[in-house]
Amino acid sequence: MKDARPAWAWRLLSILCPDYLLEEIEGDLLQRFHKDARLLGERSARRRLVWNILRYCRPGILFRHRFSLDLIPIYMLANYFKVASRVMVRNKSFSVINILGLTMGLTGALLLFLWIGKEFTYDEFHANKDNIYKAWNRARVDGALQCWDRTPRVLAPTVTQEFAAVERAVSYADYNTAFLFTKGDVRIMKNSGAFTDPQFLTMFSFPLVKGDPLKALGNPNSIVLTEDFARELFGGKEAFGEVITIWEENNSFDFTITGIVKELPANTSFSFQYLIPFQFLESIGEKDTYWGNNSVDTYVQLKPGTDANRFNEEIKDITRKHTSGENITEIFLYPLTKMRLYSRFDNGVPAGGRIEVVRLLGILGICLIVIACINFINLSTARAQKRSREVGVRKVTGAHRYSLVVQFLCESILITALAGILAVVFVMLLLPAFGALVEQKLTLDYTNVAVWGAIGIGILTIGILAGGYPAFYLSSFNPVRVLKGSPSTGTSRNFFRKVLVVFQFSFAMTLIIATLVVQEQIEYAQQRDAGYARENMIYQYITGDLEKNYEAYKNELLQSGIAVSVTKTSSPITEVWSNSWEFGWNGKDPQSKIAVDRFYTDEDIVSTAGLTLVAGRDMDLDKYPTDSTALLLNEAAVKAMGFDNPIGELITDSGTEWHVVGVVKDFLLRSPFQKVKPMVLQGSKGWFTVIHMRLNHNRPLQENLATLEKLYNKYNPVYPFDYNFVDDVYKNKFIDQEKTQTITTIFTSLAIFISCLGLLGLSTYIIESRVKEIGIRKILGASIANIAQLLSKDSMRTIIVGILLGCPSAWWGLNQWLMSFEYRTTFEPWIFLVAAAAIIIIAGLTIVVQIVRAARTNPVSSLKQE
Amino acid sequence: MGKEYLGEFEELILTMVGALQEDAYGAAITEEIETRLKREVNLSAVHVTLYRLEDKGYIKSKVGGATNERGGRRKRIYTITSGGLAMLRNMKEARLELWKMIPQLKMSGQ
Repeated sequence: MKDARPAWAWRLLSILCPDYLLEEIEGDLLQRFHKDARLLGERSARRRLVWNILRYCRPGILFRHRFSLDLIPIYMLANYFKVASRVMVRNKSFSVINILGLTMGLTGALLLFLWIGKEFTYDEFHANKDNIYKAWNRARVDGALQCWDRTPRVLAPTVTQEFAAVERAVSYADYNTAFLFTKGDVRIMKNSGAFTDPQFLTMFSFPLVKGDPLKALGNPNSIVLTEDFARELFGGKEAFGEVITIWEENNSFDFTITGIVKELPANTSFSFQYLIPFQFLESIGEKDTYWGNNSVDTYVQLKPGTDANRFNEEIKDITRKHTSGENITEIFLYPLTKMRLYSRFDNGVPAGGRIEVVRLLGILGICLIVIACINFINLSTARAQKRSREVGVRKVTGAHRYSLVVQFLCESILITALAGILAVVFVMLLLPAFGALVEQKLTLDYTNVAVWGAIGIGILTIGILAGGYPAFYLSSFNPVRVLKGSPSTGTSRNFFRKVLVVFQFSFAMTLIIATLVVQEQIEYAQQRDAGYARENMIYQYITGDLEKNYEAYKNELLQSGIAVSVTKTSSPITEVWSNSWEFGWNGKDPQSKIAVDRFYTDEDIVSTAGLTLVAGRDMDLDKYPTDSTALLLNEAAVKAMGFDNPIGELITDSGTEWHVVGVVKDFLLRSPFQKVKPMVLQGSKGWFTVIHMRLNHNRPLQENLATLEKLYNKYNPVYPFDYNFVDDVYKNKFIDQEKTQTITTIFTSLAIFISCLGLLGLSTYIIESRVKEIGIRKILGASIANIAQLLSKDSMRTIIVGILLGCPSAWWGLNQWLMSFEYRTTFEPWIFLVAAAAIIIIAGLTIVVQIVRAARTNPVSSLKQE
Repeated sequence: MGKEYLGEFEELILTMVGALQEDAYGAAITEEIETRLKREVNLSAVHVTLYRLEDKGYIKSKVGGATNERGGRRKRIYTITSGGLAMLRNMKEARLELWKMIPQLKMSGQ
């Protein structure tokens, strides 16, 4: 009798062949093998055998399996669920811990996944999305390739004319300037509109409720409104076809409403409440054909089937061609659908963008589920002893291991399903609040079968993930051993549990450190000296008659005593509206392309904003009439331009010479998280859109504002009274970071809570199983402190290992995050200490009650029952 | 229902089942084909064909005896049914009809 190996081939055969055919096939194969062995020798016989067995993997065999319901015994399944629910009811505290932990993990993860899903749908609803591209500029600035997505207004008409592959191209510009809209008595200021080309409505899928998308923007004086803006202007009345008046400065224009666009969906990067054709600007003589003026977004729709890469090669030199080689900025197209998540460029190549945040959120969601699953795994394996008799009896009465695995999986799936249902309920309740926090309109579409399918599959997967290991562990018990009552605690299981707890706490540690660092960074920037006095300063936009009446308005503001100083500027002091690398100065390197922020002011900016003069003087038109071309530098500009004594230097800008009269200390125009850039404050020869004033703080604020309103209405009767406090606007600069902080805080708390739940369950069990030991120790004279130390030592050691392992990843990740800010705090070691202390204290509080109770139990009561 | 046809390999196996009588089981059929026709056949192909013929009702099977050589596994003995026999006969006759249509070359010394 020759040995017919290998065994795995026979196992494979038994899987491939249906049971009722197996015997015959095995017999024939064996017979064949022995014949081969006689004729060819054992080695090649074996090779042939394997080959012959492999050949049974063919449809003629595989499809002979007869699937029948009795392979999945329904009545046994029902029994498993019955047993599972009884087990759950009997161990209420463990069930609660498991379900609560899983519910919280699932709720957090589900919220995150809904948010992530939303991010991927941005601008995916446009019918032409695959062929729409946004035009970008690429040029070498300060030695590096820079990319930006503002392009010249002439680009769109030019590419439509010159390239056959272009289906259509539109310019789109939200200049952010406020216009006054009037209809009868209704007066509304809006800056949320855009100028665009008529093709916009056919290129993008923003459906019109009323009007023809082909014609709606065809006329220079036509306007398209969104439903909500139309409602705002007209109440419930029909807006379509009506004429409204738009005011800009002192001019008013009549527009006919030729289209009402349906409310914009939340998942679009466009946000407009009205659309006006560029033709209108051109009809009033503001035709912009300058290739150097990158002021609009340009969208290009290519004909289907066009290779965008090849097209980019063709379009590259368009600016150079049209400026006869003067402007060497390159144009390239980038897919619209990538704009939301992949719009950051490093040195000219795509380098991620928002997708990094999205990935991070995904990892966070998965980790939340994982730590909840860890609770389940640890509690199930720790309590395995209690179920061992049941396993033994089931095995003795004939249960296969396979059916025991199914039974335990049923239990975990049941628990996960309960947690899943609760999580869906919580998500429904929390979704509006969470959506507001992340500024997304999130919905759980519960009419959609696919959503429920995904949730169902998710629950099943998590149930199997969480229950898989315990099921195999529990079902592996040897019935003889467990029924005899010999203990089967393995140190390897303990070790595995500890590894999982270490993971949980290192994750919690990472999150706590993240929360602390985010908070540190925000506080650090908030405490930064802005360089000017934000309190008691307000600004108003120059609208309507204010431009004409500025002098009178200013005089009366000062005379009435509500303002101590007034200045007009080109932009609010909290924003940069203009910058340029074309400034000229004495000794400038002709190759240098240093961008300098541009800010116009007529006079008194130093006193109004409370700037600090380092050298020279403020502008003053009364004393020095030539101050209309005066200029103040900030310290960064002095450094960038390399002046030793800047006063009196001449600086050229757009053909005008400006003379430096003073230097001010650096102050923050941009984000408080950025470095101060070189900046010039130019005199009254510039253009002005904003009035800044410092209020008289000796008078009550309400009184000041009341007088201000009176004066405003006197000098600017058409426009509604409006003002902004600079300190409020300044606070808004922190909104994004504060959101980050709120989100990290929420999920950190969630993670810590789940981890501590698991810790609670585990320590409860450990104490329960050591009750007798504690009793004996007490009898022999152990103090409460001894016992508390004994019981807490183990878990604390695990937690400390978790804390230590969490540190490097947190340090690395948060340094990366901090690197994204120019003005950033340093990562200080005390953060680690605070985070570690926080975890140890929270974990300690979680277990201390149990431990003390166990240590104080009277040994008589724990030892008397056997 | 149109008339059923058998493939070449099916016909071969069916013939072998008819010929081997009480000794018609997978390994024996394979061996017979290999020794008589000098043709390499794979055991799995023979089995699949046997099952297909049984589905079509040309053969039937019963479990037979085990031998030491088979590791104690029992054989499945196949026997041809009258339908199978009729099928074989029909095929043979049809083939003969066609054969007669081929002009026979006369071997003569003329």
